[in-house]
Amino acid sequence: MNLISIAFLVFCAVTLITYFIIPKKFQWIVLLLSSIIFLFYNNLSIFTVVQALLVLIPSYFLGRKIEGNSNTKKGKRFLILGIIIIVGQLICYKYINIFIESANLICELLHSDRKFALIENSALIGISYYSLIMISYLIDIYRGTCKSQKNIFKCALFMSYFPILTSGPFIKYKDVENDLYGEHKFNYDRALKGFIRILWGVFKILVISQRLGMYVDVVYSKLTIFSGIYTILAVLAFPLQLYTNFSGSIDVIMGISEILGIKLPENFNLPFFSKTITEFWRRWHITLGVWLKDYIFYPLLKSDDMQELNKKCKKKFGKKVAKKIPLYASMLVMWIIIGVWHGGAYTYIIGSGILQFIFMVLEDLLAPVATKVNSKLGIKEDVFSYKLYQVIRTYLLFAFAMIFFRAESIEQALFIIAHCFVWNLNIMLDEEFYYVMPKIIGLDRYDVRVLIIALVVLFIVQLLARKGDVREKFLKQNIVFRWGVLYALMFAIIIFGCYGEGYDATAFIYREF
Amino acid sequence: MKEEIYERLNKVFRDIFDDEEIIVKPETTANDIEDWDSLEHINLIVAIEQEFGMKFNMNEVTTMKNVGEMVDIIIAKTR
Repeated sequence: MNLISIAFLVFCAVTLITYFIIPKKFQWIVLLLSSIIFLFYNNLSIFTVVQALLVLIPSYFLGRKIEGNSNTKKGKRFLILGIIIIVGQLICYKYINIFIESANLICELLHSDRKFALIENSALIGISYYSLIMISYLIDIYRGTCKSQKNIFKCALFMSYFPILTSGPFIKYKDVENDLYGEHKFNYDRALKGFIRILWGVFKILVISQRLGMYVDVVYSKLTIFSGIYTILAVLAFPLQLYTNFSGSIDVIMGISEILGIKLPENFNLPFFSKTITEFWRRWHITLGVWLKDYIFYPLLKSDDMQELNKKCKKKFGKKVAKKIPLYASMLVMWIIIGVWHGGAYTYIIGSGILQFIFMVLEDLLAPVATKVNSKLGIKEDVFSYKLYQVIRTYLLFAFAMIFFRAESIEQALFIIAHCFVWNLNIMLDEEFYYVMPKIIGLDRYDVRVLIIALVVLFIVQLLARKGDVREKFLKQNIVFRWGVLYALMFAIIIFGCYGEGYDATAFIYREF
Repeated sequence: MKEEIYERLNKVFRDIFDDEEIIVKPETTANDIEDWDSLEHINLIVAIEQEFGMKFNMNEVTTMKNVGEMVDIIIAKTR
């Protein structure tokens, strides 16, 4: 069941109606049943249930055991056991192919003819999300941040709450506990706000992301035909496609949850206004960043081994350098994990892992140098033009890394990079170009116009969002304006939504992760 | 006792953030000190642990909201 489909619409409507008409103390049971149906419907296999139970049952019982043993050795043993079980099954189901690929690579390096066949990806929708959520649940109980859930069915709801199973955001037990099991009255204002958010998300996906996607897909699938300006445009369009798709689906998810009365943490904060890659990752997929910081990065940095490394470096290189070495080492580990989590293929490890790490280290090392050079040359850093340059630079760096993320192999990514450097801008002066191109790329002049207008609307909304909650401001307007805009948005989705031929209008780029 | 802790904290903060002007107050947060980001947070925590001879647990590291809360934990643990 895709987030944008008639099936999901009906599913949500039934869930919402049932949720608000039954006695409030049973509301959480409706959510649990909906979540089970959602999981099962998406994967249509008995393995779905087995897989989910394999995570739920150990997490539940170990959670109970850990609770009385917070911050003790005994508690730690239960915690480690829980993490091994959850990570173990995640690796088995999701990442088995990367081991096979690595084995094949080693065989190739050793000039052996042996090749292992890849295993059909049997990873289930939601598994990456609920695995990480349950790890955080166990760690939080161990740390004493939250108490364990006594009722296994309530625990099951926390693990499988349906809106977040396709693309997050990651939740923490302490943050959602009260909302998830609490009693909620239907609230018109809240429902309207949720509805606006859902519409905005659908607009981003169907009007913007799908159109950009048609172009990007054509270029990436016919690499030998396109070069120069076409390739550059595809490379530049992909981050926007990914963003409108991913943040759009998050909007739909947050909107549904808002109507239900369950507050979820924000996952995006206008990432394309970031001045550095470091800042970008504080604004993009925020809940994954927080998860990694709380459960991997901080414990790693604070570990005795890293502190030992810090001390040794201090003696050898002095205080300033010593501080950086454990930091970079921990960052490297974390970024490799992000790459692995994103899918495990080498293209992901490079694109959404190692390259991001390199950018961040370079930023950290070069920032003081750049400041010195700028002050010598008399370049002001605190002016609009300089900030604009930084924002564009961040976008370009991210777009560059995303070439690897989007490409099917490292060779393909290198091929694309090489083909960006072909001069063919003059083609655009050729009249014939405008008749032939729409047929090849599947976007005609009308599509391009719609796309540009939609991107301008997106940009304006984002500019407004920098100064506060756009929906709050919107709801304060007069009723005629409010409903005018809402209808305009609805009709824009219906008329300009892109349900292109042969294009799966509902395939979310991020749902695979 | 609190004044003494704040004095010692000032020393640690100045050392970590290389800024002799820093004076921390109970309501000081990461937003008030330019370089206090998530990366520098752990260096600060470890330096404070060494200064006061105590250990924060990870729950405290990730949930403390300002210097005031930090000082409360230090007092509780060094008593």
